Amino acid sequence: MEFKDYYQILGVEPEAETKDIKAAYRKLARKYHPDLNPGDEAEANFKEVAEAWEVLRDDTRRAEYDELRRYGGRRPSDFEPPPGWQSTAGGEAHHFSGDFSDFFNSVFGGGFEQAARGRPMRGQDVEIEMPVFLEETLADCSKPVSYRMPVIEGGRQRHVDKSLKVTIPAGTADGERIRVKGQGAPGMGDAAPGDLYLHIRLVPHPLFDVEGRHLSIAVPVTPWEAALGAKVVVPTLSGRINLTIAPGSQSGQRLRIRGKGLVSKLGTGDLYAILKVVMPTDTSAEVQALWRELAAKADFDPRAEWEETS
Amino acid sequence: MKGSLVRVSASEFCEREGVSHSLVIELVELDIATPVAGSEVQEWVFDDAGARWLQKALRLQRELELDWVATGMLVDLIRERDRLRRDNDNLRRALARFLVD
Repeated sequence: MEFKDYYQILGVEPEAETKDIKAAYRKLARKYHPDLNPGDEAEANFKEVAEAWEVLRDDTRRAEYDELRRYGGRRPSDFEPPPGWQSTAGGEAHHFSGDFSDFFNSVFGGGFEQAARGRPMRGQDVEIEMPVFLEETLADCSKPVSYRMPVIEGGRQRHVDKSLKVTIPAGTADGERIRVKGQGAPGMGDAAPGDLYLHIRLVPHPLFDVEGRHLSIAVPVTPWEAALGAKVVVPTLSGRINLTIAPGSQSGQRLRIRGKGLVSKLGTGDLYAILKVVMPTDTSAEVQALWRELAAKADFDPRAEWEETS
Repeated sequence: MKGSLVRVSASEFCEREGVSHSLVIELVELDIATPVAGSEVQEWVFDDAGARWLQKALRLQRELELDWVATGMLVDLIRERDRLRRDNDNLRRALARFLVD
């Protein structure tokens, strides 16, 4: 196992005073705290920094660590605690609520060693991301789930594959979690198994954008449909509908279609159709002539207000 | 197998995090989360998002060694940042449907 140089991690000298170590920790904690900096890299960095502080803030633990550092620093990539090593400081965290490294656990106890001593321990919860299509949220939906689950046997951890079908309740929103009781890792001894958590991620839709429980869709229309009005067929999550475009509609205009959004605790949302006037790409002489005729006859200046303000 | 939306009672939260009911009251008073059910703290139930904000607040307070008022402000700012990021993503995606290269 790799020896952790906690002084190097915090960027302080081994002789540094606790107040200087604390200042270094605070600076790095702000820089890497996972709640302030999303991303796996920041989280990994924060874990190292927090673990280093957890050890160096406590005088007894620091003294034990310094002793090991003199011993283990010689073989940093292949470290084993000295035979018969036992910490008197213990491995209980005062401060940091995350997981500790194997190095910390082997030196200060805790983690798997606690499990290996045969104390009943509730199984670990397992959390996985669950992609869900928008259409699947309209009603209860049964989905297959496969995941790997940590199992501890004889003090050693291995992974077991597991598959099951889970019903996702209607109206589940992006970022919500679904709990499936008892489907996490088995407990040690007589203890209960952990739970499976499905972290719902709504899959981006090629046509619809999500705004809370409401949806929006860009509806391409011709200039003459916008000018003269029309009925156009618009897709929704639950089938097609006819949408009436009023004469003189503008590009960017939003038309509300009630009850065609997402199902939610607050009721079903609406679908907003946003008109997008699209120019024809046909540049035939006949069409060009018609545009010219329109230009000559229409008395319209879309930039008139620029004249008033400049 | 039926999945259910995560709900966490105040008592469950206190037991899991090793904190007192009075601290949960303080966190609610700081607007870090609002119970979705229950009138007394012993009956309070939080939805998943609320319970996660409470947990996040505890973590920030412990790991950055903040006082509770500062923690409340930080949670407000993180929440606001998350909302702005989400709105920004939504607006960019909607705008992209109207822009032509």
